[in-house]
Amino acid sequence: MADETKPASGDSAGLSNGLVSHGDHKSRRVYQAARSLHSGAVKDLLSLGVCERCIFRLVSVEAFDSDLSSVSASTLRSWLESGDEEAASSEESSCCIVCLGVLQFVFSDAKQTLVRSECGSDYAARVTDLVKEEGHEFDSFGLEVYVPATILENERAVLLYLKGKYNSESWLQSEKISVKDALKVLVLDPLKVSLGAKSDSSSFQIRLTYSKASDEAQGASETTRERKKRKTDEENGSTSMSENSFEKVYEPCILSIHCNKMPIFFSGRYFKYSRNVSQTRWIIDDERMGEASVEELIGGNILPACLGDSYKFHAAGREDIDVRMLGSGRPFLIEVQNSRKCPSQQSLTEIEEKINKSEKKLVGVKDLKFIGSQCWAMMREGEAEKQKQYAAIVWIARPVEEKDIDSISSLKELKILQKTPVRVLHRRSPLERERTIHWMKVEKIKGSSHYFLLHLCTQAGTYIKEFVHGDLGRTTPSMGSILGCRAEIIQLDVTDVKMGDS
Amino acid sequence: MEETQNIDVTKNPEAEDAIESTKQKQSEEVEHHCDEQQKQSQEEDELRKLLLSDIEELPLSPPSATQLNFVSYFITDFTKPGHDHYIYRHANGLCVIGLAPTHRAFKDQGGITNIDFNVGKSDRSVLKVSGKRKKNAMRSESNTALCKVSTANDSYIVRCCVKGSLLEVNERLMKQPQLLNSSADREGYIAIIMPRPADWTKNKESLITLEEYKEKKQDILLEPYFSDIPHLRRLALMSDLSSRIVSQIEYYFRRIRAMTDDIHLILRSMGSSTTVEVQVNS
Repeated sequence: MADETKPASGDSAGLSNGLVSHGDHKSRRVYQAARSLHSGAVKDLLSLGVCERCIFRLVSVEAFDSDLSSVSASTLRSWLESGDEEAASSEESSCCIVCLGVLQFVFSDAKQTLVRSECGSDYAARVTDLVKEEGHEFDSFGLEVYVPATILENERAVLLYLKGKYNSESWLQSEKISVKDALKVLVLDPLKVSLGAKSDSSSFQIRLTYSKASDEAQGASETTRERKKRKTDEENGSTSMSENSFEKVYEPCILSIHCNKMPIFFSGRYFKYSRNVSQTRWIIDDERMGEASVEELIGGNILPACLGDSYKFHAAGREDIDVRMLGSGRPFLIEVQNSRKCPSQQSLTEIEEKINKSEKKLVGVKDLKFIGSQCWAMMREGEAEKQKQYAAIVWIARPVEEKDIDSISSLKELKILQKTPVRVLHRRSPLERERTIHWMKVEKIKGSSHYFLLHLCTQAGTYIKEFVHGDLGRTTPSMGSILGCRAEIIQLDVTDVKMGDS
Repeated sequence: MEETQNIDVTKNPEAEDAIESTKQKQSEEVEHHCDEQQKQSQEEDELRKLLLSDIEELPLSPPSATQLNFVSYFITDFTKPGHDHYIYRHANGLCVIGLAPTHRAFKDQGGITNIDFNVGKSDRSVLKVSGKRKKNAMRSESNTALCKVSTANDSYIVRCCVKGSLLEVNERLMKQPQLLNSSADREGYIAIIMPRPADWTKNKESLITLEEYKEKKQDILLEPYFSDIPHLRRLALMSDLSSRIVSQIEYYFRRIRAMTDDIHLILRSMGSSTTVEVQVNS
């Protein structure tokens, strides 16, 4: 019977009269397992139209494993059929009533062409081609499989039927592996080989989604009557597979492949040199406010380098459109969705230079680099506890005197109460917020007695403009109330955003 | 002293060397420190240049935050003659309501002495609005009473003028009613109201612009009256250019006032009944 020296191909379709030559121990194991299945059940299921691998799944006592992957369906069939030595059926097998072709390695692709594969590695090769089209670079992947709900329902119907007929059989009692998991078992190893990657619960996911061909046309699954019938069948147990308890599907499923890479992050510090650039894209009534946005100037340069789908911009705090960001820069993160490749540090440096050397000089970037999961901790560092430093040009209604300079500089850890500024009151809660001005320094400006340069270091969340002009008296004390006259702020610049160690 | 030193020096040439090299190192360090300080101050200078780079010319009196961010509207003789209010509308839709310079209350001697928010059905000063959605805000019509201001002779009801949600009343006025006299258009504002876009569009029709207001109230604006600061404000409105140096004039005027008070004190102490008056003529 066995010719053990023959090379292992596992596939013996074509050899004469059902006699099998199995060159490796894997196929032999499968053969032996096939021969050991309950022949009555096998015959029943075959005549119902259940495919070979599903029969293995449902009737076998042993665990369903990857050895089955290399055995073709027709070979399996010949091993399953009772030793009548019938020739392996050469007819095109119809769609399995349970797995709808999924475990038969049959599917329709996007162009509605039927794709058949004999074994797991063949199937893996087809999937690999489709994955490669998405263009991702990866060295490990996770596999997800989605199948239509009908498969679960049909399987339940078949199992019920089996239970009705072979109630107490031992092989019926064990837990049956699902179609989804069975497919993963069959194709994971061949996929690893043909993709050249490891498998883990990694940042790169390949999703195989099977959907019913007829769903496209009708969009309906079970009718209410069918559902009721199924329920009563479940209660009573049925010895026959009635027409209405499962859905007949004649066409194999459509397989669509989607690859998704988890978001990757880049960090850095940005400078804003323009008073007409907002931090994020700002559009009112279809019109853009400002000339450009920091978000687009930076993200728009990183996204193409990653070949990603989209990006998100996160910054440690924000400043108004008319406030420049100078000094040490403000920390930010760029999150890229579904990147196809990860740019090297060299490319990142080039992007940084490109932004910094641009003609308009609206925005600058420093320390642009790839960052891993610690990115959020870094961002949170820049939040509530931190101090911010500013420089403002202030006008007052009377000439600046020496005593003003002294009185302002002497104020340390000044506590102020700020009601929500009128300019943001429409979208923020009306609250009274206590803030601290840590220190202030006044510098006279040459050639002007009413203006001076005010340096100040404040608690995060302080509204500087309102501290200077008083916001109709809703911020106290204010620059005006301290100096006893009206004060206005002409321009504001952020000169330092203190973040932990940097 | 010196001799001892000399002896020390000559006695220990090695020590001398050691001292020399330490000194050298120290001076190097000092130099390095100086370099760093220089570098730092250089950076500071660059920063300063950058900070001041934008200002082409600093105007003598820049526009106020109110002028920049709000559009001024006025409503005159609202429900009663002489009840003139301003409505400053921010770009975000919020309206700041207050008394316009030509309001009758300012004509009474002594100006406004008291304000009471307990009018209508509830005390407006105790309403607590919370959250982004402005829960618990009182919904008001344009003629809903906001508060009552009192002078020595009379009292006047101030109304909302705008239909919308009452977000805030200026409760500082309760303790400092004189803010209404000195700066009714800033710290003396009365309330902040948030109208719905549709309501505002309708409301806007009954409001007039700054120019229209000046024209309509010309006579009153030129009328001399008692309280000095708002008088200046009216003059500023009429003459148009000095609206921007009004606060400067206010400051100097206050200085002059203080000086005249001092002069009065001296005159009294000398037993004289002479008075000093300062007049502003347009």
